[in-house]
Amino acid sequence: MKEFKPLPDQPAPNDTVGPIHWVKDNFFSSAMNTIATLLILALLATVVPPLVDWLLISANWSGTTQDACTKDGACWVFVIAWSKQFFYGSYPTEELWRINLCVLMLIGVIASSQLLNKDWRNKFSIPAFLLLPFVCILILDGSWIGLEYVSTDYWGGFALNVLLAAASIIVAFPLSFVWALGRRSEMPFIKSVSILLIEFFRGVPVLALFFMGSVMLPLFFPEGTNVDKLVRVWIVLTLFMAGYMAEVFRGGFQAVPTGQYEAADSLGLSYWQKTLLIILPQVIKVSMPNILATFVMLFKNTTFLLIIGIFEVLSTTQTALTNSNWLGGHSTEGYLFVAIVFWICCYSMSRISASIERKLDTSHKN
Amino acid sequence: MSVEQEKTNENNDDIIVIKDLNKWYGEFHVLKDINLRVKKGEKIVICGPSGSGKSTMTRCINRLEEFQRGSLTVNGVEMIEDVKNIEAIRREVGMVFQHFNLFPHLTILENLTLGPIWVQKKPKKEAEATAMKYLERVKIPDQANKFPGQLSGGQQQRVAIARSLCMNPEIMLFDEPTSALDPEMIKEVLDVMIELANEGMTMLCVTHEMGFAKKVADRVIFMDAGEIVEQNTPEEIFNNPQTDRLQLFLSQILDH
Amino acid sequence: MSEKPQVKSSPSFFNNPRNRSIIYQLLLLFGLGYFFYSIISNTLANMEARGIQSGYDFLFNTAGFDILMSLIPYDATNTYGRTFIVGLLNTVLVSIIGIILSTIVGFIMGVAHFSHNLLIRKLATAYVETFRNIPLLLQIFFWYFAVLAALPSARQSMSLGEVIFLNVRGLYFPGLTPEGGASVVYAAIAAAIIGIFVLKRWAKKRQDDTGQQFPVLWVSLGMLFGLPLLALIVMGFPFAWDIPYLKGFNFRGGVTVIPELMALALALTVYTGAFIAEAVRAGIQAVPHGQTEAARSIGLKEGKIMKLIIVPQAMRVIVPLLNSEYQSLVKNSTLATAIGYPDLFTVFVGTTLNQTGQAIEIVFMTMAVYFVVNMTISFLMNRLNSSVALTER
Repeated sequence: MKEFKPLPDQPAPNDTVGPIHWVKDNFFSSAMNTIATLLILALLATVVPPLVDWLLISANWSGTTQDACTKDGACWVFVIAWSKQFFYGSYPTEELWRINLCVLMLIGVIASSQLLNKDWRNKFSIPAFLLLPFVCILILDGSWIGLEYVSTDYWGGFALNVLLAAASIIVAFPLSFVWALGRRSEMPFIKSVSILLIEFFRGVPVLALFFMGSVMLPLFFPEGTNVDKLVRVWIVLTLFMAGYMAEVFRGGFQAVPTGQYEAADSLGLSYWQKTLLIILPQVIKVSMPNILATFVMLFKNTTFLLIIGIFEVLSTTQTALTNSNWLGGHSTEGYLFVAIVFWICCYSMSRISASIERKLDTSHKN
Repeated sequence: MSVEQEKTNENNDDIIVIKDLNKWYGEFHVLKDINLRVKKGEKIVICGPSGSGKSTMTRCINRLEEFQRGSLTVNGVEMIEDVKNIEAIRREVGMVFQHFNLFPHLTILENLTLGPIWVQKKPKKEAEATAMKYLERVKIPDQANKFPGQLSGGQQQRVAIARSLCMNPEIMLFDEPTSALDPEMIKEVLDVMIELANEGMTMLCVTHEMGFAKKVADRVIFMDAGEIVEQNTPEEIFNNPQTDRLQLFLSQILDH
Repeated sequence: MSEKPQVKSSPSFFNNPRNRSIIYQLLLLFGLGYFFYSIISNTLANMEARGIQSGYDFLFNTAGFDILMSLIPYDATNTYGRTFIVGLLNTVLVSIIGIILSTIVGFIMGVAHFSHNLLIRKLATAYVETFRNIPLLLQIFFWYFAVLAALPSARQSMSLGEVIFLNVRGLYFPGLTPEGGASVVYAAIAAAIIGIFVLKRWAKKRQDDTGQQFPVLWVSLGMLFGLPLLALIVMGFPFAWDIPYLKGFNFRGGVTVIPELMALALALTVYTGAFIAEAVRAGIQAVPHGQTEAARSIGLKEGKIMKLIIVPQAMRVIVPLLNSEYQSLVKNSTLATAIGYPDLFTVFVGTTLNQTGQAIEIVFMTMAVYFVVNMTISFLMNRLNSSVALTER
């Protein structure tokens, strides 16, 4: 009997591995690719240096008024001077600690969900997350908990975008779940009402909903009722979000294997026990990437509130741009700054969503 | 034109000639100095542990994988970086995959006529007639108008075989055709393959079906670590292994 | 075995699933009934208190305001009803422009994701990740207030060959005024389109019969451009160029694209294009590599593999996603109101509602329009879906 000795591995030929090959493979693999590479490089070479120069090198960083912007580049002085307004709106300066406290709590809750173990996450992080917007509303309003009352007229800036989006998704969560259940229901009337609700709030432009909220809602309430503008917006955003999330949950329900329902039935659980204990956790798990994607959409759409006169961040920016002391045409700087803030938030959420999706993909195979 | 000339120039009965074939995936050396000659009409079964390079070698034959060194000639056409040569070789070589790879958006009949219509430029009627002939040979003419998703795995694999046969290939490659199938469906696919072998088709099968190997193979090739370790008649391979590696492999697949 | 659990042979009335279902539904019905009753009675009371007449008579009253841009003749003496049509047409215009351009951008960027060139791949990714994560309204403002507002004045217009001009007031390009014989050119275009359909059927039949393939795409393109060109030459160019020219502080003549439309169309295109690129990428990725390998192994060429194998399967994933992206685009076009592009929302829900106070009627009509438009898109896309993607299973 011969002993089998594998041939020794030989190094791959030089023209198939190594950095030179990598460059050739990725940039110059064919004539077309070479042309494309050169064109793109030329484009980058003409665009990037002036852009960097404008953004950083020749930019104006220090000062408090427009007159400080003496150099050719971007006038970041504008953004710095208005940054308090961008983030906090016109909330009273001596009360800003309240917003900061809310932000700290939000960071704390998010951190706790990452740091705690599963048991504590369920016991603390999730309830805390669900309660946070309401706690924040109490703190920001102040009058309920013995602090000085701050009218919603002064709420604004990026903090308001975050607050509205968070408060809406949390109410929308149970609501959309019920709608999704209704849509799956075998009771014809409940089913058709659910479908109508879902399709209505998905099918109508969100701007039309805001107009309904500001023009039509007052007509619906008895005379003399005065509902706060932000509350009306909150209702509209919640319903809008619920319509989209109900569809996400419907997909989630379909993704839960029938075997799970059968297993729950065979244990003798009641409908609600089965739905809340067995199905809901699984539905939320598989729906998580899409819930996050929907939340990103909602979050971006909070800027639409500018149109009905809510002082969210974009509307603050517009105010700053038309301020008589800052009429030097700083719109690019202003929009760029807001864009970067939104981009960081939305991009990180979409990354998280993608990583959850990858995890689900591997854990659900077979 | 040149393709046709090359064909007539090298006129011997070796339909596949592989010389010193070497392939790397990045830095990883997957195929090492492979030398193989296959005669027309010969049936070859290739076996070996997973990762031994058997699929990769098979897939080099119709250029689903590139190789970096060595030469490969199929039916007198040398495999070089030339679209015409690659097309000429692919016309001669049919391939059946582990996961069938039927086109799910086309009916069974359309799956079969796609190649004849678009590659061989046959009229639709003629292509359909040929397709039905082969569907009858794999014993599922009644499924012609269904979609692949409506068929069982065994039926899908038989359709995949028929799809290759419609192109009238000189050589058939089988890349683990039965390993994705339920046990009761393996036989129906193997029966079709045996029948094909009896008709004199040149076949290269990557498979672990040793019964099939004993029944039809002229030669069994055992591969490991990217090289051909042993090749011999089925009797010799199974009863008289020359290397410890093959003996170990046989004991692993036969003793259970 | 232990004793059976105590279950009554005739279940109580409330535990019967059928009765339960009826009770639940009745509860919902009464709840909704009360909800609508109170809304309607409150609304009627409120409207009476504010002195608003309900009904659609206001549509026939004179509007009395001007509209920045209209595709049909309109002036301030026309009715509110006509403002509805003007706004609707402007919405349709920007939607169609947005849908066509974003589809082109999206498909290019989606396919670029699979380029062999690393730079192209990275550029496509950068495009998608940048623009879909920035609010659309912000992008509209950026184009409108930062980019287009920075264009030179009319006197310093940028020009292309002195026929196309771009300045802070908009984009001006030459129009064509038909003269005698123009109808021949129109007929040629119609003939070319019909000809393409006939050609397609003929080529299909010929291939079925003889196996011969015919370069339908190239001949079609040739016909589409060649026939009208031929007609133009034969008729001696029966059109008069209407070239924009500077008069005073502004341009006259030609076709004008107002900056509001440019900014809105640009932003909608770039934003939706990013989502469509993702859809296209997802669609192509959904086709397993084994499909390409199988197609190669039966000898199909790369172009044919794309046409016959990859595209039909990718489209099954792409088309439903496109459907919802198009609907989003139409809904998002309402943001026109933020920069004053006179779409349905700006004109009708904005100005007309302000002047008449007919909130309910106007909001209802507007919502109905968006529903109908989106239903139409849905219907067309479903048709497309069933034609590109044959059934599976």
